[in-house]
Amino acid sequence: MNSLTASGAIATGRVRLVDIRQRSLLTARLRVLLLVGAFCLIALAALLRIAWLGLVQPPPHEQSMAEALLPSRGEITDRNGVPLARAFPAYALWYDPQALNDGGSALVKPASEVAAELTRIFPDLDPAETTRRLTSGKAGYIRRRILPEDANRVQAIGELALELPRETDRQYPQGSMAAHVLGYVAADGHGRVGMEQVLDEHLTDPATRGTPAALSIDTRVQGALEDELRRGMLAVNAAGAAGIVLDVDTGEVLALASLPEFDPNRIDARGQSLMFNRVTNQVYELGSTFKPLTVAAAIDSGVVTDLAKLYPAARPLQVGGFRIRDSHIIGQYINAPQALIHSSNIVTAQIADALGPDRLKRTMEDLGMNERPYIELPARGFPIWHKGKWPRLRAMTVSYGHGIAVTPLHLASAYATMVNGGIWRPTTLRKVAPGEAPRGRRVFKASTSARMNQLLRMIAVYGTGRHADAPGFRIGGKTGSAEKPGVGGYRRTSLITTFAAAFPMDKPRYVVVAMMDEPKGTAASSYQRTAAWNAAPVVGRLIPRIGPLLGILPDTSRDIDLTDLKPLVGDEETEE
Amino acid sequence: MNLSFVPAPLALLPWRIIFALVALTCFGALVLYSAAGGSFQPYAFAQLVRFSVFLVLAFGMSLLRRDLVFLAAYPVYGIVVGMLVLVEVLGAVKGGSQRWLNLGPIVLQPSELMKPAIVLVLASFYHSLPAGLVGSWRALVPAAVLMGIPIALVLLQPDLGTTISIAFVGVIVMFLAGLPMKWFIAGGVMAAIAAPLLYFFGLHDYQRQRVTTFLDPESDPLGTGYHITQSEIAIGSGGVFGKGFGNGSQSHLNYLPEAHTDFVFATMAEEWGLAGGLFVLLIFGMVLRWGMRVGRNAPDRFSRLMAAGMTATIFFYVMINTMMVMGLAPVVGIPLPFMSYGGSSMLTNMICIGTLMMIDRWSRQARPPSYG
Repeated sequence: MNSLTASGAIATGRVRLVDIRQRSLLTARLRVLLLVGAFCLIALAALLRIAWLGLVQPPPHEQSMAEALLPSRGEITDRNGVPLARAFPAYALWYDPQALNDGGSALVKPASEVAAELTRIFPDLDPAETTRRLTSGKAGYIRRRILPEDANRVQAIGELALELPRETDRQYPQGSMAAHVLGYVAADGHGRVGMEQVLDEHLTDPATRGTPAALSIDTRVQGALEDELRRGMLAVNAAGAAGIVLDVDTGEVLALASLPEFDPNRIDARGQSLMFNRVTNQVYELGSTFKPLTVAAAIDSGVVTDLAKLYPAARPLQVGGFRIRDSHIIGQYINAPQALIHSSNIVTAQIADALGPDRLKRTMEDLGMNERPYIELPARGFPIWHKGKWPRLRAMTVSYGHGIAVTPLHLASAYATMVNGGIWRPTTLRKVAPGEAPRGRRVFKASTSARMNQLLRMIAVYGTGRHADAPGFRIGGKTGSAEKPGVGGYRRTSLITTFAAAFPMDKPRYVVVAMMDEPKGTAASSYQRTAAWNAAPVVGRLIPRIGPLLGILPDTSRDIDLTDLKPLVGDEETEE
Repeated sequence: MNLSFVPAPLALLPWRIIFALVALTCFGALVLYSAAGGSFQPYAFAQLVRFSVFLVLAFGMSLLRRDLVFLAAYPVYGIVVGMLVLVEVLGAVKGGSQRWLNLGPIVLQPSELMKPAIVLVLASFYHSLPAGLVGSWRALVPAAVLMGIPIALVLLQPDLGTTISIAFVGVIVMFLAGLPMKWFIAGGVMAAIAAPLLYFFGLHDYQRQRVTTFLDPESDPLGTGYHITQSEIAIGSGGVFGKGFGNGSQSHLNYLPEAHTDFVFATMAEEWGLAGGLFVLLIFGMVLRWGMRVGRNAPDRFSRLMAAGMTATIFFYVMINTMMVMGLAPVVGIPLPFMSYGGSSMLTNMICIGTLMMIDRWSRQARPPSYG
């Protein structure tokens, strides 16, 4: 209290002074405290903010230099690295009325003049409509895609409001090839329908999109399949066609086609309507192609031990109120090989009856017929499949491919199981590295598979599959012609015809399934509608095209040994 | 431990704070080293040299006697105002605005020096003011004039950030001097009314844009919101322990503007994460706590006010810079003390530290040292 002692003021003044000093000291202390409190609050706010930015807020997406050099969307290639889909930088023509940013007119020249110049570059533009757009003051695309040289010419007009943003487009260099496998990329930048949708994450993630995604597809095989299917489809005036080539040992799909196809480069209303995939999404009653599966199940379970055993086939089979009949009388008594060669419903139903509904159902379940097909594509059809215990009649109709509806992919997968030694494997559209094939599950014994290979080959040599028997390729396969269900029962003239084949039968490597939807009888098919006249010839022409590409050269000096079964079927080569 | 062999003037220095500052500056130099792409040139080395020189200067300052400082308050203020005028005149002569004085090898920014000068002169003024007059107009008007002259001059440059910081420290000194609370409340209300008027009529376009950007940085992420957006990305991508020394992509790839000056905190936070940010804030917390304690223990009103004012100056830098970098305040060019590259702010801050050390010495001399 220096001031107090130094002060010479009177007592009351001194008291008041002391009072003021005390009070001011108190306020000073209080204010320092207030200030410190404010500091602490602000420090706390800063701390919370750092913690928020560092911990809570999702880390921002960072684009590195390396990433900027990557394609905006990863490439899709076939199994040999041929590009099927790739990123394609392109220009758009965008109108931005705010570009000049001076509050005045959006354009330097009169709008009609600019519109006239644009029309000179793009003759299909409507000058009046374009003028209206330019004067509307609304931003928007004038054209979505323009060529680089046109972009230069637009630049030369000298209007800042005409902007040329670079946009990335998706290009499918093979055109419509494998459209259903690939799908397309929608305006939002994400894939639709096919592998574009399935691989969307892989194709957009900067960590993975630098490396192309390899599919199991082989463009050469795919091209041949589409070509032959289209030819076959047009020749018999079919409403559609579907085909698949499958590697029997790995489950890889080498080609998958659904016709008519769409062009993923140009998606319009018509394209949208054709996106339905007949191979993986549509289920059909595939008819007689199921017969070998039934016979295989019967051989495998020991029900059929003697292929020479004869079954009555002269009269329709009466089961309850239902009659199972053949298209024509094959013979009084025929054996199982003959039943397959001539496609006898009556005999197949008897074999299935001997096998019993439970065991047939079990085999069908083992072949995956009771669930959606195993494939990456998003569109996978659920089979028409009867759960619960099958009655006797159900087993008999299923044995020749009725009362059960599956996709052609199901059928291809089941045939692959039947010919590859008996192992079922999921089918895939991803390339499988050598030795990486899934183990799969055993459905048939190897001996059953070997016997079925002989029988399938015999159908192609002696039976309904003769139109598919390309010399030297040792093709084996079974036809199937099923009436399409319509209102009030089956429609006799609307057929689904299928040929399910494998080759070469002495060491099966590939399964080929070709299917025609509502083929007509035309001159090309000798006015016949059944599979032997439309689906089988497609396979017969296709395999010579794709065999050499896949390492299977025609060789007439080799074939699967049929000598033990030949005597059972005689020399009859009359049936079609 | 017996440290009696150490000379008294050295032993009396607040070593703990000095070590903390050295640690902070070295950490800052490390960040600058990384921001320069792993090189001591051009930032880190110059920064360390400057810090050493200014530290010696601060030691020298701390030896000044109280009566000398008290006498020098008005002359120092006058000299700095003179320098501000000189800057204006030179600017007018050369054409275009200017903030710097070129004194041979040293480039001086007088508006920076004004911050400690205004604290000094206001502390001196309120010390001389009789205690009974604190509530009267005579406590306000001369102080307002003392603040108004430099504020007007700096605003002319124009330098909004420094203007605000001069006004801020001035008001803090007034607040601590015990001016009636109702004046501050009235002032606050008036500022709230004036702010929109100032915004629409007083600010330059670029300044106005900074405010709108602050209010909504996403409104223009590639234009004026770019600074804040990139800064937040840098801080956010650091996470808890950061990306590691030399791995900050935001600064190295030039996404972050002013990575070595105003946004050095973001550069640091990207590489050192939350941990680095906590370290920096902790050291500033230590410094500020020390400053307030020096003010509390100071022997008289002059030194008390000066200590608090100097602490507020440092605090203002830290507060505005960190908040700006985190997107809590508009982008104004205010650097982070001891870490941002730059001589003028380093000088100002070291003057503040030197003044605080000086006041600390006075208070130890005024009463027996406690060594507490």
